[in-house]
Amino acid sequence: MTAIDFKRFFGKMAPSPSSPVRVMAKETAIVASHINLVYRNGGEEFNALQDVSLTVKSGEVHLLMGPSGSGKTTLLSILAGLLTPTSGQVHLLGEEITQFSRPRLAAFRLQHLGFIFQGFNLFPALTACENVEVAFHLKGTHQARRQAIELLDQVGLADRCNHRPQALSGGQKQRVAIARALAGNPQLIMADEPTAALDSQNGHAIIELLRSLAKTSGRTVLIVTHDPRILDVADRVTDLEDGKIVTKLTKAKPGQQ
Amino acid sequence: MASIARKNLFEDIPRFLVAQAGIMFAVSLVTIQLGILKGFSRSTAIVIDYARADLWVASKEMVAFELTSPLPADYINKSMTVTGVDRAEILLVRAGRWHGHDGKLSPARIFGFNPDGELFAGWRLSDGNLNDLKQPYTAIVASGVQKSLGLDETRIGSIAGLPVTIVGTAEDVQSNASSPFLFSSLETANTYGDAEINSSINCIRQASGDLDCTNSFKNRPLGQKNGDLAPPKPLSLSDPISYVLIRAKPGQDLPQLKQRLLSALPETQILTQAEIAAITRNYWEVRTGVGFILGLGATVGFIVGMVVVGQILYASVADHLREFGTLKAMGAANSVIYRIIIEQSLWMAILGYVPSMGICLTLGQWTQMTRGIMILIEPSTAAAVLLLTVVMCMGSAIFAVQKVTRLDPAIVFKA
Ligand SMILES: Nc1ncnc2c1ncn2[C@@H]1O[C@H](COP(=O)(O)OP(=O)(O)OP(=O)(O)O)[C@@H](O)[C@H]1O
Ligand SMILES: [Mg+2]
Repeated sequence: MTAIDFKRFFGKMAPSPSSPVRVMAKETAIVASHINLVYRNGGEEFNALQDVSLTVKSGEVHLLMGPSGSGKTTLLSILAGLLTPTSGQVHLLGEEITQFSRPRLAAFRLQHLGFIFQGFNLFPALTACENVEVAFHLKGTHQARRQAIELLDQVGLADRCNHRPQALSGGQKQRVAIARALAGNPQLIMADEPTAALDSQNGHAIIELLRSLAKTSGRTVLIVTHDPRILDVADRVTDLEDGKIVTKLTKAKPGQQ
Repeated sequence: MASIARKNLFEDIPRFLVAQAGIMFAVSLVTIQLGILKGFSRSTAIVIDYARADLWVASKEMVAFELTSPLPADYINKSMTVTGVDRAEILLVRAGRWHGHDGKLSPARIFGFNPDGELFAGWRLSDGNLNDLKQPYTAIVASGVQKSLGLDETRIGSIAGLPVTIVGTAEDVQSNASSPFLFSSLETANTYGDAEINSSINCIRQASGDLDCTNSFKNRPLGQKNGDLAPPKPLSLSDPISYVLIRAKPGQDLPQLKQRLLSALPETQILTQAEIAAITRNYWEVRTGVGFILGLGATVGFIVGMVVVGQILYASVADHLREFGTLKAMGAANSVIYRIIIEQSLWMAILGYVPSMGICLTLGQWTQMTRGIMILIEPSTAAAVLLLTVVMCMGSAIFAVQKVTRLDPAIVFKA
């Protein structure tokens, strides 16, 4: 599995950082080139990202790792079109989203992106089913309830349809959130520390779920994490430090070396 | 999607109730202030509204219904001779000092009219009969003022030393701007209005040759049997009267009749019932400042309401900011989020409005029954307050929407 990915990465494409625009949507899901981000707070400026270039291939599970404060969340926000970089371009599925207007960005996210958050970000007033339905409703899908139940079934929570988040464990909440992220079958899933708020057992279940999800559907999954266990599912790892990429390696899986 | 607004609202019931209490407070404040203003305004000329005259002959100097100069009583005869006049009746408006059975004093407004007349007394009697007023020294009291007059079961009091026996109660006729209303026959009202306190001077020659004089004022003793008194003397043509109420013959052109009356009755103004009512209301609303103060109260109520509702909605949106951020991150258009906030504000408006209206109507009934003060909530007032509530809630929703519009969807990744 990883061998194929490895071959695809090195064999088919090796975009030079200076010509990222030629990349093909079919093969590369995310191309970020020369991203800089300066946070301005009053008179103070902070370079959170410096000349970051990154390519994520379609169908791969890509980890963003690095110490706290290294800029992982900042980079993820930019790649998701939630934050506009100070300079540089981001191409998602072949489209340069850094040129998009805000409404167009929103529409793009709605169609192509699913999000998983550290804090789950479920709607506390809604049941598990309704939380998933919201995503379908936003996309204008009919028969949202039936599809929501199907997705909850996929994450093993069909029997929790009518439970509100407060009645679910942390791991269950994250599974509902994953079901929500999968609604409408987006090509890109972006997750920020999906296991950080979970104990090891629940964290493991989520990792397993992410693994099967990535491997069975061919979706591109970008995960920001500190959790070394996720390395098991990853095809590649990008390490950030002080806003710069320090290594961009196909990871060596402990079990498959 | 629509259910997010409603579910957010009902998610935390105690919190929801506290928020609704704030909105109900605001709505009730506006309703009551408006209701008092409208009720006050209506009450100041309600006696006129009940009359069934086509035209009122008033002194040229008349400023408001209860603030006028006298007319000569023979204007009644003069107006009868004017062509097109079908009927003319005298109305007396007098002031008196009521001496209650409980010994307390109160001002009183005494109206004298002909109990057999057809033009003045259109109000409803909850007890008694207009014919009872033909008994001397009797009066009908406006409901709601019994307490101010210290009326108990004996239903007696006195004015200027003359006894008054209350023989009936007129509903919904009291002006909130005036002293308690009493309605009597022309003769009785005239006598009450006329009677002065008896005074006498007693002088004793002192040994020194000086005169030592004492001036004594005496009220006639209370509880004197009506029969012991000389009956009130009939109205004479030299007595001053307040108004002449005119009914035109059918098919009369009122402006022309006005002109004919005006030339027959010098130093008068001839007004339709609507005109004299409007002049009176305008006097209370504008010239006295009472209306201004009550209007100011309603305005302040609206502003306070706006602020309260704004705070509640803003707080609620701030509470759910993370959820709105999540929706935005997921790709929801701003319009979707606006719809949620606006729907929530409409729910809050309706759910605040309905119980508030119930409370205000109940309160209005209570003040009317116990104090004779009307909080007038007509359908138009209720509709206006509903509109105002919706405007208040939507207005504050716009503030709240601003917060979400400026919301950076990147906050969703911040723990
Ligand atoms: N809004 C902001 N204004 C100013 N500085 C910011 C802002 N957001 C983040 N930063 C700074 O940018 C740097 C990168 O932040 P970021 O959240 O991307 O780090 P991270 O790698 O996700 O860290 P962690 O692992 O702790 O989540 C940090 O030093 C942070 O203090
Ligand atoms: Mg982070």
